[in-house]
Amino acid sequence: MTGQDHKHDDIGCLDAIEALYAYLDGELDGMSIEHVEKHMEHCRSCYSRRDVERALTEHLRRTGKAKVPASTQARLKKLIDNL
Amino acid sequence: MEKPGDDKAYFSRSVDENLDALYGVALRLTGRPADAEDLVAETAAKAWAAIGSLEDRTRFRPWLFRILRNCYISDYRKRSVRPNEAVYDELADGNADEDVCSMLMNESDDFLNWWSNPEREFFNSMLGDRLVAAMDELPEAYRITVLLVNVEGLTYDEAAEALGVPPGTVRSRMKRGRTMLQKALWAEAIEAGLVIGQGTQ
Repeated sequence: MTGQDHKHDDIGCLDAIEALYAYLDGELDGMSIEHVEKHMEHCRSCYSRRDVERALTEHLRRTGKAKVPASTQARLKKLIDNL
Repeated sequence: MEKPGDDKAYFSRSVDENLDALYGVALRLTGRPADAEDLVAETAAKAWAAIGSLEDRTRFRPWLFRILRNCYISDYRKRSVRPNEAVYDELADGNADEDVCSMLMNESDDFLNWWSNPEREFFNSMLGDRLVAAMDELPEAYRITVLLVNVEGLTYDEAAEALGVPPGTVRSRMKRGRTMLQKALWAEAIEAGLVIGQGTQ
């Protein structure tokens, strides 16, 4: 285990990590969010993992998007208009 | 068969709003700009022909991406830059949860420690380019899932609809795909001489 400082009513590192990406992607329900965040308050290791993965997510969102080249966009718009 | 005018206006507007996203996904699937352009054009033509099957207009995005995905599989995958990768994807999905937890729990402390040190600034500067390149290297099933969710902002349910898989599979693929990205960046950092490799060999 890599976590630390667990409280008796805390979820463990395994459960926190299992839920990490769904948590960052906004896919957890309210109770599950509460469990994950409560764990992060006490576990520095999982807290750091969350920070790393959140930063990677933001980088992906910012840099992963493509832009259609202008010539391609013109061709596609013409094609769609002529359907 | 003629379509009502409001259908055409709605369709044109909706495709236009999603054109960058369609092209981006097509480009990352085919690996070639010319193929991506053709794939988007074919997707638009097939979508218009099937517009009557779209029962819920709030599901236009996943519906459109699903058509693109099907066009890709039918006509483009065999000549993509990585035509044989789909076989690996389906085999890997089976143990995704266990594998991901194992990787994150046991092998990423070095990554976390390095992340918190002063070299992080340099890491950030190279991250933009390398992260997208690393995403392009993911096996197809993980690449398109991470792309749809993390780049294009689809929910897991929408991505599942677009990919024709259960939402649980999207969740598993997100965990595994993102873990692969982290490991790829860590390997990149070692290769660049930024850290002494350990724990990920």
